[in-house]
Amino acid sequence: MSIPSSSPWRAYDWQLIRSEPIHPVMHMALDEALLEEVAAGRRKPTLRIWEWAASAVVIGRFQSLRNEVDLESAQRYQVQVVRRITGGGAMFIEPGNTITYSIYAPVELVAGMSMVDSYAFCDRWVLDALASLGVEAWYQPINDITSAAGKIGGAAQTRRNGAVLHHVTMAYDIDNARMLEILRIGREKLSDKGIASAAKRVDPLRRQTGLPREAIIERMIETFRAQYGLTESAITPEEWKAAERLVETKFGTEAWLRAIP
Amino acid sequence: MHGEYKIPGGKLIVVDLNIIDGTLRNVVLSGDFFLEPAEALEWMAAAIEGLPVNTPVDTIATRVRTAAAHAELIGITPEGVAEAVRRAIQGGTP
Repeated sequence: MSIPSSSPWRAYDWQLIRSEPIHPVMHMALDEALLEEVAAGRRKPTLRIWEWAASAVVIGRFQSLRNEVDLESAQRYQVQVVRRITGGGAMFIEPGNTITYSIYAPVELVAGMSMVDSYAFCDRWVLDALASLGVEAWYQPINDITSAAGKIGGAAQTRRNGAVLHHVTMAYDIDNARMLEILRIGREKLSDKGIASAAKRVDPLRRQTGLPREAIIERMIETFRAQYGLTESAITPEEWKAAERLVETKFGTEAWLRAIP
Repeated sequence: MHGEYKIPGGKLIVVDLNIIDGTLRNVVLSGDFFLEPAEALEWMAAAIEGLPVNTPVDTIATRVRTAAAHAELIGITPEGVAEAVRRAIQGGTP
């Protein structure tokens, strides 16, 4: 696998968005709204660190809702179920247990790379940040961040209008029993590796580092800043309104959630 | 009817369909794969919709490949989609 040097990153004035906890459906909408803003050239390439305001199941763009989620369990535990715009598998999110971020960039950032190579390329800085904390992690194609002790996280990408969205969720901690009550994990999915994506032997960062979640996020931001540069930014009122519109017209609708019933 | 096939080293493809008058109807594809553009999901399903139930797996794969010619499939293959269709027709995943 050949990955170009980090220089393509240096071509941009990277922006950092950190915000208060946001509801899951609004996170889905912000990803689309900010991707469109970068595609249109109204926003510079951006790293967004997420904070979750509620527990959620986030299913992939092409997943069947009923195949993936036990909706009764989700309701019982007040877990919101949302569908994202990228492919990949279902994730169970609890606010304090998850580290999630998005990268929005022109596709030129990953020019000439296959999709599979571009996943590893977009997260190289994260692997460096984890290494600096003593966690030896690597990419397991297509989209897993893993370590000798177990899976750490998963990535997903989509591209539109000349921009790429790359977002990642990593496990800081995990409630396996609760997850298995809410996610349905079929036998076929287990067939070639013994265990499904969501239930892969996850070894969360809390156990691997012994550090508070916030300290890991700070190290990630420091690493990105040192390697590529980073300027403080914020979601603009216009971007926020665009995302709210997308919640009303798309992400908050039954039609979207049940696009594949 | 429901069939699933996990591409070795790749992703899961799920097929739900009905068999009506000997043809494949209401074909729905799903799974944890990646696909660009997203509309290619409907292109592939349309390529299977209405086929006779005894259509050879190779033919299904070829039709899916043609339908997705301008799409990028990540983690699945046309042959994998066809295998999931075959399993659905045979009464679902064992």
